[in-house]
Amino acid sequence: MDNGGQIAVEAKSLVKRYGVLTAVDGVSFQISRGEIVGFLGANGAGKTTTLRMLCGLVSPTSGAALIDGIDIFREPLPAKAKLGYLDEEPFVHPHLTGREFLNFIADLYRMPRGPERQQRMERLLGLFELADRNGELIGAYSHGMRQKIGLASLLIREPSVLLLDEPTNGLDPRSARLVKDLLEELAARGTAVLLSTHILEVAQALCHRVAIIDHGKIVATGTMEELRAQTGSEKASLEDLFLKLTAGPESKELIDRLLAPDL
Amino acid sequence: MLAGFLFLAALFIGGGAFTVGASAGRFLPSARDIILAGGFTALSIMMLVVGFPTVIATMFVGRDLLQLVVAPVRPVEIFLSRVLLAMTANIFISGILLMATLGVGVGSSAPLIFYPLAVLLLALQVLVVTSLQTILMSFVLRWVPARLARDVAAAVAGLAGAGFYLAWNLSLSQSFTSSSHPDLANLTAVIERAEWLPSAWPGHALSGVIAGDPSSAVTWLVFTLAQAGVLIGVAAVMYERTMLAGLGVFGGPQALWKRSSANKVPSVAKTGTASPARAIARKDWLGYRRDIRRLSRLLPALLFPVGYAVAFLRPARDGRGFWTEVFLVGLITMFLSSTLGTPSIPSERRGFQLLRMAPLTMWQVLRAKVMLTLIPVVVFALLFSVVIAAATGSRIGQFVELAVLVVWLCTGFVSIGVAAGGIDPHFESADDRRSVGVIGTLAGIAAAIGFGLLSVAALAAFVYGIAAAQGTARLIVVPSTPTVGVVMVGGGLLLAAGAGAVVVTMMVIANSRLRRYEGAIAE
Repeated sequence: MDNGGQIAVEAKSLVKRYGVLTAVDGVSFQISRGEIVGFLGANGAGKTTTLRMLCGLVSPTSGAALIDGIDIFREPLPAKAKLGYLDEEPFVHPHLTGREFLNFIADLYRMPRGPERQQRMERLLGLFELADRNGELIGAYSHGMRQKIGLASLLIREPSVLLLDEPTNGLDPRSARLVKDLLEELAARGTAVLLSTHILEVAQALCHRVAIIDHGKIVATGTMEELRAQTGSEKASLEDLFLKLTAGPESKELIDRLLAPDL
Repeated sequence: MLAGFLFLAALFIGGGAFTVGASAGRFLPSARDIILAGGFTALSIMMLVVGFPTVIATMFVGRDLLQLVVAPVRPVEIFLSRVLLAMTANIFISGILLMATLGVGVGSSAPLIFYPLAVLLLALQVLVVTSLQTILMSFVLRWVPARLARDVAAAVAGLAGAGFYLAWNLSLSQSFTSSSHPDLANLTAVIERAEWLPSAWPGHALSGVIAGDPSSAVTWLVFTLAQAGVLIGVAAVMYERTMLAGLGVFGGPQALWKRSSANKVPSVAKTGTASPARAIARKDWLGYRRDIRRLSRLLPALLFPVGYAVAFLRPARDGRGFWTEVFLVGLITMFLSSTLGTPSIPSERRGFQLLRMAPLTMWQVLRAKVMLTLIPVVVFALLFSVVIAAATGSRIGQFVELAVLVVWLCTGFVSIGVAAGGIDPHFESADDRRSVGVIGTLAGIAAAIGFGLLSVAALAAFVYGIAAAQGTARLIVVPSTPTVGVVMVGGGLLLAAGAGAVVVTMMVIANSRLRRYEGAIAE
């Protein structure tokens, strides 16, 4: 498919049903090269299932997922070679050291061995402050360190598309800032990023556009200005917009009910 | 059904122990003290070895300990509640000695007080051993992380359990085949040397009751109660200190371990072509080497086929000896392939997600797993063949035939084992032994039997076909002619092709199932 070389990720009417439950219901959106798109939704809204369909882990009931114009279910190998996916709880082999894990991933993706790869690995380990953990098994890493080595395992092979599910989950403020700066830099160099997060401040500060999913359906997409125009709230923050677009019981009402004296 | 089976097993084992005890009590009156003291000591050693993993897991590693420690509960109450839980494995083991001890009482016409006292002393012994294990672990945890200690203890317990079972079976098989009577003199001498051990004191007390010697019984009883009081008290204090020191589930001496391994140079080749298959193999190898828990489950499983093969091995120098060797080699390769090959795909656990996302086909993953498993299985099976061939005095020609068969069988059985794991993987299972579902297990068994029978039939067709062509075969009804020989070799080729087709079918199904797999990795 010719997309003029600009569209890096395209979800085409993705549907995923588990028996009677429709987890994702006709999700469509596009991400251009160099664009960071925030993917927002409440717990169980269908974010993770959408991401897993986009990276080829879960096959859609209907619809298609295209990476650089390549259908990931029809031609999985070339599409996967361009893609990096970070799960919200990334799996990292606990019985390998950080270096061994990075080498394992690099070998899986057939990155040529040699000084270039070695230097890149050392730079990443240094960047994420893991270089002095030489010899230590990942099983002994803290949650944040596992998140960092998971991110490093994506970045070592320079994918042109990044699908990230809560990448700053468990990171200390300094590392979280590092990840944000890194994503901006990567986007500036042409990497397309789909960022699923619950931290709306991060999304507002980092993302060029956001897509909001609710009960498996995309309820809004666009830049902050476009979302404000859609909802008629001129100075609303992303949090306000999100709550408005995924309307549920007002939190104040719930708190009042919880703290009522007769409870 | 399982409950019924367990009840029958308990009845059989308990009944057996009771009968042995009763016979000893009735017919060996002079050996009652040695039997009881030796029984208590043997039980204590067995509990000490086999029950350690349960004690570590219950008292030091369980995540629910965190809730208990932060709750307004006194440490001694935590100790008592955990020690009761930790005793479960030891209580199970002590059931056998209880039945034997009660049997000794019945056989010796012991007074009524003997029976409640026996139950009490046995329960106390379980508590004492559990306390001793707690004390030992409280020291060990200062230098070794709790989870590592648990895994090592599980490995030792697994090997000890498998060793006990194997030794028991081999000694049974020897008693049925040997005409000589067992010599108990050495065993008695060993027990006599160890009768001063505190673990033997409850046995002396019970023996005093049977002998109608109240002063001896009371003396040993007081010693037993005193040592129990001291050990339980020390264990309670040590346990509290261990918790307060932040060891066990709270962390422990990991930093020390980190430092000791920090200077290791990463052993990854700096240049060369990247190979996903090699990467998977290397990762699996490192995982096996470093995951003591997996090793602890693997080693006892490997011990059984070797032990049984050795037990079955009988010197045979005629033509039929060769087929005994074929049977043994087939058995060994099937066991090894199943033990190592079947969990190789499910043992990826959530790591399978990484393989699915990588630009790899499932064929490549299957091939990598087969290659990795094949190497140790072929090496081990060939070594075993050399030993068998040497023991039975096989001719070189027969050994070559056996070696070719070994490589063929290993390739087939390993592929079937790996495919069975790929057909029905349970990636969520933390235990390799339960990581393949019923469909995969049944498919693996059926395919292995089919492949094995077809392969051996093919070998028979080749061996007798060639002999028939040379006119040397002793076929009962069929004439030994070149035409018959050619027909038999042709039939052998067809049978071998059938065996190969079984393997290919399994691999094709596994590939298809893995490509479509979404289960645990999508959760």
